[in-house]
Amino acid sequence: MSETPPTKRLDHRLPERFLPIVNYDLCRVCRRCVNDCSYQALEFRESKVVASGGCVACGRCIAICPANCIEIRPVPPQFAPHGNWSERSRRSILAQASSGGVLLSSCGADDEHPAIFDDLLLDAAQVTNPSIDPLREPVETVTYLGRRPGRLEVCDGKVMVREDDTPLIRMDMPLMFGHISLGSISYNAQQALFMAAKELNIVAGSGEGGLHPDFYQYADHICSEVASGRFGIKPEYLKEVAAVEIKIGQGAKPGHGGHLPGEKVTTMISETRMIPRGTDALSPYPHHDIYSIEDLAQLISVLKESTEYRLPVGVKIAAVHNVGAIASGIVRAGADFLTVDGFKGGTGAAPRVIRDHAGLPVEVAIAAVDRRLTQEGLRNRVTVCAGGGIRSSADMIKALALGADVVMVSTSAMVAMGCRVCQQCHRGLCSWGIATQRDDLTSRLDPNVAAARIVRLFRAWNEELKEVLGAMGIDAVESLVGNRDRLRYRGPNPKIAEVMNVKHIGEGWG
Amino acid sequence: MNDRKDREVRTDRLGMPVQAENYTASRPPGWQGQLGGCGIASCISLKGGRIDGDRIARMLTIMEERENGLGAGYACYGLFPERRDQYCLQFFFDDEEGKQAVEDFLDGRLDILHDEKVFLRERSTISPPYPLVWRYFANVPHAREWRGTRDLGEEDYLVELVQHINERVPKAFCVSSGKDMAVFKGNGYSYEIADLYDLGRYSGTMWLSHSRFPTNSPAWWAGAHPLSLLDWGVCHNGEITSYGVNRKLVEMNGYKCTVLTDTEVVTYLWDLLVRRNGLPTEVAAFVMAPSTFQEISLLPPAERRLAEWLRITYKEAFLNGPFSIIVGRSQPDISLIALADRKKLRPMIAGLSPNEEVAYCASEESAIRIVEPDARTWAPGAGNPFIAVAGKGIVRRGTEPSFQGVSL
Amino acid sequence: MKDVCKPKGHAHECDCGKECLKVEGDRAVIDLSLSPAQPMHYTTLNCVMRKAMRRGCSSIELKGVMGQRYLASTASAPDLYIAVHGTPGNDLGAFLNGPTIEVFGNAQDMTGNTMNSGRIIVHGNAWDVTGLAARGGQILVKGDTGYRVGIHMKEFGGSRPTMVIGGTAKDYLGEYMAGGTILVLGLGGGAPVGRSLGAGMHGGRIFVRGTVGLEQLGPGAAIVPLSPDDEKEVRGLLGEFENAFGAEVPGEMSEYVKVAPSSSRPFSGYYDKTNV
Repeated sequence: MSETPPTKRLDHRLPERFLPIVNYDLCRVCRRCVNDCSYQALEFRESKVVASGGCVACGRCIAICPANCIEIRPVPPQFAPHGNWSERSRRSILAQASSGGVLLSSCGADDEHPAIFDDLLLDAAQVTNPSIDPLREPVETVTYLGRRPGRLEVCDGKVMVREDDTPLIRMDMPLMFGHISLGSISYNAQQALFMAAKELNIVAGSGEGGLHPDFYQYADHICSEVASGRFGIKPEYLKEVAAVEIKIGQGAKPGHGGHLPGEKVTTMISETRMIPRGTDALSPYPHHDIYSIEDLAQLISVLKESTEYRLPVGVKIAAVHNVGAIASGIVRAGADFLTVDGFKGGTGAAPRVIRDHAGLPVEVAIAAVDRRLTQEGLRNRVTVCAGGGIRSSADMIKALALGADVVMVSTSAMVAMGCRVCQQCHRGLCSWGIATQRDDLTSRLDPNVAAARIVRLFRAWNEELKEVLGAMGIDAVESLVGNRDRLRYRGPNPKIAEVMNVKHIGEGWG
Repeated sequence: MNDRKDREVRTDRLGMPVQAENYTASRPPGWQGQLGGCGIASCISLKGGRIDGDRIARMLTIMEERENGLGAGYACYGLFPERRDQYCLQFFFDDEEGKQAVEDFLDGRLDILHDEKVFLRERSTISPPYPLVWRYFANVPHAREWRGTRDLGEEDYLVELVQHINERVPKAFCVSSGKDMAVFKGNGYSYEIADLYDLGRYSGTMWLSHSRFPTNSPAWWAGAHPLSLLDWGVCHNGEITSYGVNRKLVEMNGYKCTVLTDTEVVTYLWDLLVRRNGLPTEVAAFVMAPSTFQEISLLPPAERRLAEWLRITYKEAFLNGPFSIIVGRSQPDISLIALADRKKLRPMIAGLSPNEEVAYCASEESAIRIVEPDARTWAPGAGNPFIAVAGKGIVRRGTEPSFQGVSL
Repeated sequence: MKDVCKPKGHAHECDCGKECLKVEGDRAVIDLSLSPAQPMHYTTLNCVMRKAMRRGCSSIELKGVMGQRYLASTASAPDLYIAVHGTPGNDLGAFLNGPTIEVFGNAQDMTGNTMNSGRIIVHGNAWDVTGLAARGGQILVKGDTGYRVGIHMKEFGGSRPTMVIGGTAKDYLGEYMAGGTILVLGLGGGAPVGRSLGAGMHGGRIFVRGTVGLEQLGPGAAIVPLSPDDEKEVRGLLGEFENAFGAEVPGEMSEYVKVAPSSSRPFSGYYDKTNV
């Protein structure tokens, strides 16, 4: 006799991914964790704090628990083991079969392929040249962003300097903050980034959401972004900043537009973006005035006209397979700097299928761009910026050696503020007050404290850069940029080394 | 001459075996360049007089401790007064076949006015093979059709020709190609090479020299210093840590790296910056060994602006790491340039004879004292070029403030 | 800000355009035919125009314009009047912030790109991508327009861009539209609008005189009846069109169709936020 099948609809509820465990021996029942959990994954029931489901491992409860009694455990696999049908693939199918939606995610691609950075080893000086002690002798990290003249004209033995022709920004380290819009992150978080950029004397991207009037005080350290949505582009947004960047693409979602959901378009966001409150802020997939490279030249030119040639105008692209040729076209179109955003770059919201499956790792992209621009004799005209998944000073240093003049970081700056990379930015519930517009959450982030943390992090990275430069016997960072001779590849696929023009470990020079 | 089968095992001064492969014009298979320490020495007659080859050989040889027998060389300027307006192309050939290939290639591309075998005195201590060394005196033909579709200047045309031969023509290597100068180099100790070429038979207005202590062999005759292109001759002590960056700049400008050493790139940089970009010599030196931004910020405004823009514009020409270099050229005047890196990590001493007729630069003071016991000597500063020009005297001692004498 | 206008590639203030600029009182005339370089480069023309603006001219008349791009980009004087005789190039009045530009001829592509405020009046046709991402101001085109006109116009507070097209518009009119008003009169015959009208629009409104088939609508766009306020707005725009061009305009409201977004969140159910 078979059982009668149940008549009620099965909702295929997915198993939990994370489980907060409270050590009741230590818990003081202060309930701060319950109050702070913006995902409502903890509740207070029968005089105890218990898990109520939906934990995303944002780590807020751990950090604020005064008794240090919470631990978040990843829930072990709940489905029958299968080498091909991973837990995630089955969860995705079940979710989409219920919703019919496009799976949305945030932060960078979280696949477990090791980063190529981890397969690269740095060189150091031994015997044939001396290493340098950066604590006692100068090791320079000053970096300029913008177009360079290629050569200086000489008239009657006099070297002519026409500095007005090529506006450049001087930064104290080869680092910039990527474009994170107000909207994708909170006012406090963006302010912290701008304050830190000013303190570090580097440049921070505005993101595409316009610039809040309060932030014009940091304009000398802001690169404003002209993206396809054209939000908040007022004359001062172009004229009063340090640089202007046209966003063609983003590493996390090459070829995709932007979509800030209406619930994040608060009064403040609507004022800055200059759109009505509560409507979706959409950025078209392409710029509708750029369907070809000559159209890009046109937008670059109109921005240069509009800024009267006083600012560097750059172009940001997602790293894609033909990135070398595209970069060459962008330089020929007149871009003063070029930013390449790699496959593992972050996002506030992107379709998972694109985030995890489209694009090119930044390591390969940098090498390809550097090589192509060198072959075409263009490399000494343009500043190449690159980022997308830069997790440490080691990644930064390797990116420089592969050929980037400036390394762009975003996620690491947000981690410095408190982000734990839980990949829930698109839900707008960020418990750290970073990727949210909810006042009660954003007030958790003190911009002064966050800025100080960012400054400390990147000062430390810069010191680490100087340590490595010194160890290599190099006393200025420009002598590392594109110096692939000082890298070796130790990974599983020598073909990668070949396309990056990096020698294999064991291959010497002399 | 090219028999590599029968060879004796050669040892260096410390009795260490030297790998017996010895390559002349052809690049050794798997050659990836050579690193090492060196001694350098040079002298110039400031009045345009003549100095004979024995003198430079004594200067270089006194610094024997700086070499290990795997390469030495000399360059002489003001060598061919009767042919001073003709290009002198001096070649290493592995054999007659290489010579024939070069002559076939040059036929119609250059007007060869005279050619001769360069004298070699075979020595028991230098193991064969020796290259066949030959020199050609030539003019660049004036007829446009010889220059192909691109209207290259005479020098660019010659650069392209020489680089083509060194890259493409087997068994041949052009070791020098300038006017009124030639390079004598090879695989051996400084005194062996001097003896091999019988330098005493030559005299000139200026000599550069270099002895080598590479960390690796095989030895390659063509890879020894001085490295030369057109009339540029470069002797280099040290190791450029920014090689990959500098190489990109010269390759972007059409130079082909065939020797794969940092010195080669330094040679091309001088040609690029001074001959092609027209930078004054001392300005090119400041490009290669720039001040720190901190130092630049303390300069007067005009100097500061120039220094900053030189650094921004030519950051790929910044030679990082330890070096001291001696650079010679014959055009427009016979000139000697000596430059040490901005941290002064390699040695360099300059000197002047008591009668102020001969100037010297060398790695060690002894190299000057051995030939000029009463010379006045001084140390040029870090990143501060010493410049002497035949007929003009010492233009810059290398102790002046930066940018002194530069038009602003 | 430096008070120097610097054409591309020149270190100093341009003076090669001096002879073509004539200023009388606060009126400037720039005759491009007098320029030593023919045709005059856009960098020079823009430089000369900025010079006239800095001298406080209230009107600038351009004669003999032939494809020069980016004219009056980011120009910000609210009372400035610019008359363009000839054919201005792409991106005319990009990021415009106040002035009035009147074109006696046809305009090329991307006229009024991302404009903030001001007016652009074209006594002819204006081709593709006119009024892209405009956030305020007005564009009046007497004749026809091309494809992808009025893409991603948006409004906020008192800023509300309006566009009146006397002739026709092609496909993708008002795509991504997030605010503002587009009025197409269809004078001179032919289908007033093309396909994919208002594709993905989530704000603003498009009025079309004539018929609009449902198959012409893009996703997110719907045909809705005109409200009394809409009729008032259309009449107002018609009045401005009439004033600008002195042309008779049909004022029968029953001839007009309104296209509006079906939702301000057209794709709100599109994404699945499950933490997989």
